[in-house]
Amino acid sequence: MLIDRMQTLKPEDSRSHIRCPFQLEQSASKMFIHFSYGPKLLDDRQQARELMEECVERYIEPERRSLVLGSMDRYFPLSNLITVSVDDPETYRGACHRHDPEQQLFLGESASSPGLTKGRLPSGLWSVTLSVHSIVTDTCEYRLRIWTEDPTTDQSAFS
Amino acid sequence: MRWLACELHTHTNHSDGKQTLEELTAGARRLGFDCIALTDHNTMSGLKDRERIESETGLTIIPGMEWTTFYGHMVTVGSMSLAAADWRRATPGNIAEGVAEVHRLGGLAGLAHPYRIGNPVCTGCYWEFEIQDWREIDYIEVWSKTFAPIQADNHRAFGLWTELLNAGVRIAATSGRDWHEQTETDDPLSVTYLGLEERSDEPLTVAAAAMAALGAGRASVTIGPLLTMEVRSEAGRAYGIGEAVPAGANGFEARAQILFSVRQGLWELEPQPFRLLITGSAGTIAERTIEPADGDYALPFPPDASRPLWIRAELWGVVRGASVRIAFTNAIYFD
Ligand SMILES: [Zn+2]
Ligand SMILES: [Zn+2]
Repeated sequence: MLIDRMQTLKPEDSRSHIRCPFQLEQSASKMFIHFSYGPKLLDDRQQARELMEECVERYIEPERRSLVLGSMDRYFPLSNLITVSVDDPETYRGACHRHDPEQQLFLGESASSPGLTKGRLPSGLWSVTLSVHSIVTDTCEYRLRIWTEDPTTDQSAFS
Repeated sequence: MRWLACELHTHTNHSDGKQTLEELTAGARRLGFDCIALTDHNTMSGLKDRERIESETGLTIIPGMEWTTFYGHMVTVGSMSLAAADWRRATPGNIAEGVAEVHRLGGLAGLAHPYRIGNPVCTGCYWEFEIQDWREIDYIEVWSKTFAPIQADNHRAFGLWTELLNAGVRIAATSGRDWHEQTETDDPLSVTYLGLEERSDEPLTVAAAAMAALGAGRASVTIGPLLTMEVRSEAGRAYGIGEAVPAGANGFEARAQILFSVRQGLWELEPQPFRLLITGSAGTIAERTIEPADGDYALPFPPDASRPLWIRAELWGVVRGASVRIAFTNAIYFD
C-alpha cells in the first residue's frame, strides 16, 4: 500500500487542495486508487436553507433573490464534492471530476479509468490531489488508498 | 467565408458527462453541427480517440479543457497540450498567469457561464477571479445551456460583454450548451458559427482555422438563422465581423446577411416579421423588419450618427411568447 489515509473535513476546508505525495520505488504496470467520502448529502433542510440564503445573497442579483429563494428546493439535497487528480513524476495524468462518493480508479500502460491518462507508470515522486470543492455537512470523512501491481506479480497472476 | 456550426462546451464520461465521445459526436452530427470542442472538467483523457472519431464522423473535434476551479470555470480550447497548465494553482488573484500559460500552450481562454449560481449549488461556477486586464481574455460564453436568450444569468453575461465593448475591450462572445448527456429537448439550441478564412497560401486544419476565427472574434451566435454583417465605407472597402475599421474611413453602411436556410429542419421559429438592428456603443443606429427568408439588407448609418467604438447586428423576435434576441454577431470595431 502506497497510501492509506483517512481524514475528517469540515466546511472550512471547502476550496482547498489536499496534496498526497508518495514515492513509487519502481515503475509499475498498474496503479489503483480507491477514494471514498461520506456523507455525500446534507439531509438537514434547515441547514440547507441557511446555506442557500448565503448563496443567493452572494450570487443572485437583488431583484431576483426572492424568486430563487422561493424555488430553492430544486437545488436540494446539497452535496459535498471532492475530486481526485493525479500527477506522475513528470506530467499531469488527469482528473476524475464527478460526483460519485466512491471511486475505484486505476492507471495502466494501455488503459486507465475515464479522466486519467493511460501510459507508463514511471518510478519517482507521484502525487494524488484531493480537491475539496465544497463541504456542506458538519463533517465529512474521506479515505484514500493507493497501491500498485508490480510487473513481476502481475505476470505471474495472469500466466 | 465558410461559417462553421460549432458547439464549444461539452463533456463526456471522462468528467461528469453521461456520454462517450462517440455518443456526443453522433448527437452533434444529428443536430447539424460541423464542429465541437470537448471541454471536460480538468482532463483531456477523453480525446484519446479523437482522430479516429473525427474521421469516422466527419465532425471536427477541437481539443479543450474546462478549468474547473474553486473561483470560476474557464474554458480553454485549441491545443492538445492544454492539460499542462495547472488549474489547481488558480487563486482569486492570479488567473492572468493561468491565461498566459494557456496562450503559451497555443490555446484560447474564455469565461464559462460567468454568472451561474456558485457554491454549494454549482461549485466554482460563478466567476470570482479578479481580472486586471480584460484584453488577456479571448472570449466570454454569454449564452449557456438551452433556450439561452431567456436565462437570467445569460443576461448578466451578455451585459458584461457589452460593458467591456463599451470600455474599448475587443473580446469575443460565444454560446456553449455545457452539454453533459444525450437527452431530448424541445428547447431552442444555440450555435456559435465561426467564420473560416479561405486561404490557399497556408491551409490550416479546420480546427486550427476555427480557433483562428475565435481568436479574431469572427463569430456569430444564434438559436436559428445565421446572421452576419459587414461595414462598408464610402470608399467601398468592406470590414467583416471581428475586424476594425481604420481611422479615416467614413460614410458607413452596414450590410447584414441572414440565412434562414442553415441547419434546415433542425430548428423552428414561428413565422413573424423579425426585427433586425445594428447596435453598438452609440446605441441602435439602424433598424428594420425582415421576413423569415434568406436575404441581404443594407442599413445605412444615419448621416448625423457619431462614430461608434463598435457595432454588432442583432435579430429579435418572439419565441415561445417571449421577445428575445434570436441571434447576434460579434463586434466590428472602429479605430
Ligand atoms: Zn462549468
Ligand atoms: Zn462545463
